[in-house]
Amino acid sequence: MDLVRWNQRGNLNPMDEFDRLQEEINKLFNLDYQSSGIFDRTASPAVDVIEKDDSVVVRCDMPGVKKDNLDLSLARNILTIKGEKESEDHENESKNYRNETWSGIFQRTISLPDSVDPEKVEASLRDGVLELVIGKREEVKPRQIDVKVS
Amino acid sequence: MERRCVSPLSRIHEEGGKVYLQMEMPGVKKDNVNVSIEDNQLRINAPRHEEEVQGNYIVRERNCADFEKVFTIDNSIDRNSIDASLVEGVLTITLQFKEEVKPRKIKIRG
Repeated sequence: MDLVRWNQRGNLNPMDEFDRLQEEINKLFNLDYQSSGIFDRTASPAVDVIEKDDSVVVRCDMPGVKKDNLDLSLARNILTIKGEKESEDHENESKNYRNETWSGIFQRTISLPDSVDPEKVEASLRDGVLELVIGKREEVKPRQIDVKVS
Repeated sequence: MERRCVSPLSRIHEEGGKVYLQMEMPGVKKDNVNVSIEDNQLRINAPRHEEEVQGNYIVRERNCADFEKVFTIDNSIDRNSIDASLVEGVLTITLQFKEEVKPRKIKIRG
């Protein structure tokens, strides 16, 4: 009679399955880094739009994007931010260990409050954050009217 | 209250015998980045002091938490030649291998 090795792992142990399931769940909840899936914010950069009394401020995170690769346009109150984040991959020379970053072309269109004035826009790119300050039209600015009491 | 920390999106790659650790840290100023090394842990901490705009937020998607990341590096990395730079919101840390672990060419006499 042949001796068959008793296979400890192979023996059906229902608890093993639970361990495996637990691992899968842990993986699912391992939100150590944001995934760079297609619906992720990295592909369409995250923005903040803040309305002030006399202007609208738009802030947008774009690390690694060069000034020349940004294209901003404002048509009435529709702001379009287009740009490209260049890939730094030099194909053959570099060996990637881990890459969570994203590169490519992105576009974001935001509708701003109607009161913005497309003529008064200031944009700056600092430390990977794009900041746009868009003035409001004179006629819609809240104006203080003094009432004289005679 | 302790400020919230997030791990920056990073990319680790090797090129020309050097290892580059790149982390996306939008809104972080150069002076605020702390890189420290203790035993085999390379810790990067970057508080994001961004001036709050007073006003009414119509859209708020950006996460304004501080950045923190710890890398474990092994003994083949030269602790004395670590270089860091911050350009356009991307922090790049350059690590070099120690001389003794670099592949060496041995000449054949004769």
